[in-house]
Amino acid sequence: MFEVDREAIKKQLGSSLLKECLGRMLLIRHFELRAEAAYQQGKVGGFFHSYIGQEAIQTAAVQALGAENWYATSYRVHALALLLGASPEELMAELFGKVTGNAKGRGGSMHFFTDRLLGGFGIVAGQIPIATGAAFTLKYQGKKNEVAICFMGDGAVAQGAFHESLNLASLWNLPCIYVIENNQWGMGTAVHRAISVPCLAEDKAAGYNMKAYTFDGMDFFTCYGGFQHLYHQVLKTERPVLVEVLTERFKGHSISDPALYRTKESLKQVIQRDPILIMKQALLEANMITEEEIKALEKEMRRRLLVALDFAEKSPWPDPLTLEEEVVAPDLGDDK
Amino acid sequence: MSHGTQVVELREALRQAIDEEMERDPNVFVMGEEVGEYNGAYKVTKGLLDKWGPRRIVDTPISELGFAGLCVGAAMTGLRPIVEFMSFNFSFVAADQMISNAIKMYYMSGNRFSVPIVFRGPNGAAAQVSSQHSHCVEALYGNLPGWTVLAPANAYDAKGLLKSAIRENHPVLFLESELSYGDKMEIPVGEYLVPIGKARIIQAGDAVTLVSHSRMIHVCQEAVKELVCKGIKAELIDLRTIKPLDIATIAASVKKTHHVVLVEEGHIFAGIAAEVAFQIMEHCFDYLDAPIERVCQCETPMPYSKVLEQETLPTVHRILKAVDKSLYQ
Repeated sequence: MFEVDREAIKKQLGSSLLKECLGRMLLIRHFELRAEAAYQQGKVGGFFHSYIGQEAIQTAAVQALGAENWYATSYRVHALALLLGASPEELMAELFGKVTGNAKGRGGSMHFFTDRLLGGFGIVAGQIPIATGAAFTLKYQGKKNEVAICFMGDGAVAQGAFHESLNLASLWNLPCIYVIENNQWGMGTAVHRAISVPCLAEDKAAGYNMKAYTFDGMDFFTCYGGFQHLYHQVLKTERPVLVEVLTERFKGHSISDPALYRTKESLKQVIQRDPILIMKQALLEANMITEEEIKALEKEMRRRLLVALDFAEKSPWPDPLTLEEEVVAPDLGDDK
Repeated sequence: MSHGTQVVELREALRQAIDEEMERDPNVFVMGEEVGEYNGAYKVTKGLLDKWGPRRIVDTPISELGFAGLCVGAAMTGLRPIVEFMSFNFSFVAADQMISNAIKMYYMSGNRFSVPIVFRGPNGAAAQVSSQHSHCVEALYGNLPGWTVLAPANAYDAKGLLKSAIRENHPVLFLESELSYGDKMEIPVGEYLVPIGKARIIQAGDAVTLVSHSRMIHVCQEAVKELVCKGIKAELIDLRTIKPLDIATIAASVKKTHHVVLVEEGHIFAGIAAEVAFQIMEHCFDYLDAPIERVCQCETPMPYSKVLEQETLPTVHRILKAVDKSLYQ
């Protein structure tokens, strides 16, 4: 398990940045809660995969690496889009299927994008070759100050795309950070029933001649220090790395999954290690935030989400006349 | 060789197209199995590694899912990959990346990411390579929106269409034929493009319209010659672009001939011929004087024995029989 100097990280980031990070984790949490409520009211359709319980990981990763890299993740994409600058308004509108949505109402919950977020991918492991390709582009273009970051769930490790991508990335020295967010469940199948080794990164990486790490995904500080280390490692060595981040989602696989395969007791234990609670506690203990400030942050996030819901609600539907428009990208309009 | 033209094999026409487009745009690169040091499984990329180096002519392990998906990611982030499948049969293991990612991305992302990528390689039957190496993929993939599907039948179209394909800003399937790589043709020395979405009338006629594409054009040409001997002037149309389909050229022909025979190397069920026939019905119902006839591959996996292989593929004999039936002869 990767160890960090928490005090040093607190010093390095300082209270204002750490408060911002807590704010982002709260924004994710509130977004998921409000969106789920909207789903229950029939405002949102289709699949819906909540990131609740995993907030520390991507918040720390984006803080440590910066937004100016290529990112890709699975269908559990709400948090990463928020962290990379998509507004709660455009994301909520996308969930509502409105034309003002992040993908004009064509993508839905699993397909959010930003300038540097290549997607939300609906097929398990489908994003791994894509992120590998982004790393290939960086190398092709000679960009030495950027990396590609590929998030995936533990279930993706069983897919062929995982194996082929890691083999190519290692073979060709591509600057890619592969992050397995092990939330313990591939839908309803416990990870030990799906993957033949206990440590998803450390047991697998040797087969790709890659370095491996394991982070505590419930702790923002470990994740931040870990990702910062990986970032420098990848930039320095121009080699890919593989990391497993241990976490556990609080919700079912998707909104329609009541997670009957998990006992109430074990869920209770998991929730005791709520990454947001841990973060609050740490900042309070370090006198970097007050209870009042936390309350104010919570209030602010509630307000922002109400604004987002209102925006989504009031936004127009896509015009059915546009249905068959923009299926293929137009020509570049050069001398073709 | 006359001034300004050259006689080249189809594979050389393709090589020139790739070479010229790599010269034109530094973001164009080739990736695939044996494209570099081996000079291409069918020598389409011969000499390109020597000229462009391993950064732009990228040999891969046998890993179609991995490198096809990687190229989709590269296309999303600013490059313009040409993916060579040693055979389109191997594209099936990469199909999720092609279908779920490459062709959905532009629409699904609200037009945030385009995927300028060409998937090319031999399609269809070769010579006795049996059931797992003889698929025609155009009907399978053509069913899906989001890409252009091209299938040239000769060196001229191969070069001009491939150059157009590489300049498209969205995914293109470029289907070649292993048996046609050695076909020679006189083509211009200089640069030229062939427009996407335009069929070509290979042979003008007024008695019956034959529509086909790729290697089957040559089988149709043999049939057309025999029909001439019988005093029947058939009009032969080469689709060149399968999707988007140039129904205007086909419809104009049908309105003239009133009889149609469709010839396709792929299987008959839900094939390209079925689509062409339906669109003819939509556009020219009142002009048809006979039911549309189809000559396609029979509903069997490709058998190995050459006797059976010949039997399952469209032949001159089967085409002539279909023409006779259409003309009530």
